[in-house]
Amino acid sequence: MQSILLLFIAMLLAPLYAAWILKIKAFFGGKKGPPLLIHYYTLIKLLRKGSVYSTSTTFLFKMGPLVSLTTAAVALMFVPIGGSPSLFSFHGDVIFVLYLLGLGRFFTIAAAMDTASPFEGMGAAREAYFPIICEATLFVMLILFYLLTGELKLSAYFEGLQPLRFWHTAGATLLFVVIALFIVLLTENARVPVDDPATHLELTMIHEVMVLDHSGPDFAMIELGAFFKLFFYSAFIARLIFPFTMGPLAADVALFFAILILIYGIVGVTESIMARYRMDKVPQFVLTSFALAAFATIITLEYIK
Amino acid sequence: MTNPVETLLVLVLLSVLSALGSSRLPSLIKVLSFQGLVVSIVPLFMGHEMNTGSIIFTLVTFLIRAFAIPLYIYVAIRRVAIRREANPIVGYHASLLLGLVLIVAAIAVSPKFNLPMPQGRPLMLPTAVTLVVAGMFLIMSRRNAIAMVLGYMMMENGIYLVGTGFSLRAQHIVEFGILLDVLAGVMIMAVILQHIKQAFDSLDTARLTTLKE
Amino acid sequence: MSYLFLSVSIVLCGGILPFLFIRQFNRMRAVAAFFTATGCLLGLVSAVLLLAGNDQPTISVGFLSSFTLDFKADGLSAFFLMVIFLISFLAAIYGYHYLDKPERAVRIAASHLFFSLLIAAMALVVTAYNIITFLLCWEIMSLASFFLVVHDHEIEENSKAGYLYAVYSQVGALFLLAAFGIMYASTGTLDFAAAASLSEPTKILVFALAFVGFGSKAGVFPFHAWLPHAHPAAPSHISALMSGVMIKTGVYGIVRLYHLLAWHTPLFGQIVIIAGMITGILGVIYALGQQDIKRMLAYSSVENIGIILIALGLGMIGVAAGQPLIAVLGFAGGFLHVLNHSLFKSLLFMGAGMVLHQTGTRAMDQLGGLIKRMPVTGSTFLIGSLAIAGLPPFNGFVSEFLIYMGGFRGAALGKSYFVLSVLAIISLALIGGLALAAFTKVNGVVFQGEPRGVPAQNAAEHGSGMLVPMVILAAACLIVGLFPTFFMALAIRAVAALNLGYGRIPLAPFVPLTANITRAAALFLGVLVLLWILRSFCYRGKTITQAGTWGCGFTRPTARMQYTSSSFAASILNFFSTVAPLKEEHPAIKGRFPAPTHYHSQIQDIAELQITSLIVRPVIFLFDKLRWLQHGEIHMYIGYILLAIVVALVFVFQ
Repeated sequence: MQSILLLFIAMLLAPLYAAWILKIKAFFGGKKGPPLLIHYYTLIKLLRKGSVYSTSTTFLFKMGPLVSLTTAAVALMFVPIGGSPSLFSFHGDVIFVLYLLGLGRFFTIAAAMDTASPFEGMGAAREAYFPIICEATLFVMLILFYLLTGELKLSAYFEGLQPLRFWHTAGATLLFVVIALFIVLLTENARVPVDDPATHLELTMIHEVMVLDHSGPDFAMIELGAFFKLFFYSAFIARLIFPFTMGPLAADVALFFAILILIYGIVGVTESIMARYRMDKVPQFVLTSFALAAFATIITLEYIK
Repeated sequence: MTNPVETLLVLVLLSVLSALGSSRLPSLIKVLSFQGLVVSIVPLFMGHEMNTGSIIFTLVTFLIRAFAIPLYIYVAIRRVAIRREANPIVGYHASLLLGLVLIVAAIAVSPKFNLPMPQGRPLMLPTAVTLVVAGMFLIMSRRNAIAMVLGYMMMENGIYLVGTGFSLRAQHIVEFGILLDVLAGVMIMAVILQHIKQAFDSLDTARLTTLKE
Repeated sequence: MSYLFLSVSIVLCGGILPFLFIRQFNRMRAVAAFFTATGCLLGLVSAVLLLAGNDQPTISVGFLSSFTLDFKADGLSAFFLMVIFLISFLAAIYGYHYLDKPERAVRIAASHLFFSLLIAAMALVVTAYNIITFLLCWEIMSLASFFLVVHDHEIEENSKAGYLYAVYSQVGALFLLAAFGIMYASTGTLDFAAAASLSEPTKILVFALAFVGFGSKAGVFPFHAWLPHAHPAAPSHISALMSGVMIKTGVYGIVRLYHLLAWHTPLFGQIVIIAGMITGILGVIYALGQQDIKRMLAYSSVENIGIILIALGLGMIGVAAGQPLIAVLGFAGGFLHVLNHSLFKSLLFMGAGMVLHQTGTRAMDQLGGLIKRMPVTGSTFLIGSLAIAGLPPFNGFVSEFLIYMGGFRGAALGKSYFVLSVLAIISLALIGGLALAAFTKVNGVVFQGEPRGVPAQNAAEHGSGMLVPMVILAAACLIVGLFPTFFMALAIRAVAALNLGYGRIPLAPFVPLTANITRAAALFLGVLVLLWILRSFCYRGKTITQAGTWGCGFTRPTARMQYTSSSFAASILNFFSTVAPLKEEHPAIKGRFPAPTHYHSQIQDIAELQITSLIVRPVIFLFDKLRWLQHGEIHMYIGYILLAIVVALVFVFQ
């Protein structure tokens, strides 16, 4: 019951956090920025609209938003929010969740290819490319976590005091894991410096260009799915950088959501102070995350031997 | 993982990776400068007995390694105005992955050396081995002469680390001698480079093969 | 066992009887399809019964009064028999509508003959239990498939492919002959069971030689070069059978040899797993780079053989390390992937066959938008793609999940096991990501968007005989993905036949794994349906408008502007350009009013490139030096024969 409630809160708050990034960016730009509730307004507006479908599209175009939202929502159900037990959990759920996100990606790409637009094809090709390296990074991290805990489930890594135990055994190298995870977050969620969600030129986009033709409730689903996905990755970083627990669950959860403000804030700051990489530089950036994660794994193993 | 030496060594290993991944000479120099800085302060935390002499030696090493040599090279590339690209034979992605493989291999190989390394420092020798081999790799895989010199410096850092591991009294003197050699070498190199640049208008070592006759 | 032979005989009838009806084309293909399918169905049933039962029937037949042909069907054989008969059954039905040119009746009858021979030979290969029997069936299998590859031999590309295939399969067979020859020389008997008594160095030699031989059939890098040429050349239901099933006989051979040698050294596991990783990653990279839909599928088979080998290697490492859990997870994951790959790969080849049959082209960049004109083909192909990319809730995910489980446990073992397991996990993750890119590419370019050329514009589906097998296979992909427990139990029975010393393998540790997959898939589907209902609720009473795709401000978009298969893959391939060099060809543009120009690009397979320079050129050089022997004078040739006889006699009587 409690985990259902937490999941519900998380899903409800995800758009709010995403608006926080906009606020930070506006601050750096010397602007006032949109209200914090902007994403709710947008979602409601979109849900009340009808849709325009391209004559080139098929049922896959409608499946795209549906599946990407579903996968993101299901992935969230396996996350131990604020260190409390997750709603679902089984041995190997990490692999399932990662592949589920892959399924979401497949359908997003399929929906983009469905429109016959050259620009969306371009975005789709990039969407197919960068996450390959991200996935390898995540699996390297999994190896590290598996060797430290002997478990293959998200709740075993991020529940309760377990993150603190990671710091005890792995020490400072865990910082590299956090950085690597942050790079993965930026890449998977199409943020600067990999992708600029606010740019105006379709040629330079990844995620935004893929959803150009979606409209109305379909587009709302895509947006919501993107918020969930961002929340999914941020939750892990939050648990890793603040591994302590206070005791009462309410306090823990409150602290967790406070730390999340910090993480979204860092994303916002990164977006404000960095420029988007040239497309051919992105793989090197993402590969850095792989190198860092692999490095941390190697070093840590040397210690626990 | 709590003791400072190990943290420093992890930073050194990280600097190896970023050196292998960096494409521009200025950033490569910065990485090497950072590496020299970290490597040269390692002895301060080793828990050896330190007298005034060895502290001074360490500090001078520190200054030369972290500032003098990098600055000198930096000025040199400014003066000859050569291309800033490291010009790799093996690409940056491959170099980076190879760096990871190197670290794993170094960890696997080090115990077989049977060197009298201090207890409780499992990363000391692997780091040193990684530095030496990665330095060689940098020399082999970059066409740009300056990048090759930097690879040479990386090797020297590795040798210094091995020396740090032995708590011999004469260590600092020998080490200092080597360092001075390196410094002299770097200066000579800079002068020669300037002449080569004036004569041939290029510092691509691949073209130096024409000099073989 | 007798049912098995009965079914093989019925299948063979399906090959021979068509020759009686050459003048009545429709009756001919009906007879062929009926007998082959019936035989396969019977075989399928008997294989499942064998797998469920505990007996291991054996049969010995005298042959030419000098050898005996021994057959034995244990759990391993039964598992492979099940795969062989299942796919053959569907391929036979598919073939009924696929080979529908009455004017080529004789050739089609021949094709039916070799098709049935191929099925029979494969069934016998996996049950053969002595050296002679095995090699005999192996050769029949190679020859039958060779004749199927050169079905359209008047196309030069196809006859070349056939030639290449013949060379590879014969050289591979020579390696096998060498391996088995050594076995025979050291044991003095043709019996398979004697292999366990070999000395250890001999076992290594035998395994290495046989690995090359079996690897060249399975498509292990670098012996895979025939596969992307031969599979596209064959008619599509044959490609489905060859790619889905025949190459697995190579996998079967490797496992069978491992079982027979009965030596649980980590070395075999290391060889297999390293070969698997290289094969898997390179296979999927080349698959991504192809512009021909069937070639792309062929390379994807190479990739999946890689995954299977990674799994088997993990299993062997688990056995060597004394970890039954890893061993069973590895082997069962591998066997399940054999089944899964046969399901989705034949589905995909059948889909590609439909496209080829109806549009007449295999070039992806000529196609587009086919899902609208071929809804069944398009959606089943989509399901196949999802399955082969290893995505839940389809079957590919199940086997990859089991392999990951084994891999992670292997990583906890320490030492050299650790390195290999970690590399295996990372390679699987990489393969997964690349396979997703490769199959979104095929789907996106061939089935989605707008038609790029005339053939794709007026294509339509044809022949229920071709559609039904695809629907069945797609359903099977989903069923295995949703309820994997039963199929994993079958795979574990096959593992039990390997005599790893675990006796009857209890299902208890493994059922929770697959039960969790079922639950997780159900959760996913549940949320999907829920959101779908919410979505339709949102759309109630809304205005839905149709309009053209937004061209980002460009007002005259054409279908030719769509992202092509080459452009989709270009940036990823650039990342891997060391192993997949790009060959470009375009004349320079000259003058103020340049003439029309063209651009052609192709990803090169380094195995093919290197084989030319490392093997072909030295061999040609060597034999050029011997050319003086061939001077055209028949008297001297007879002299050579005499010389050879004398030398042979000297050897015999010394």
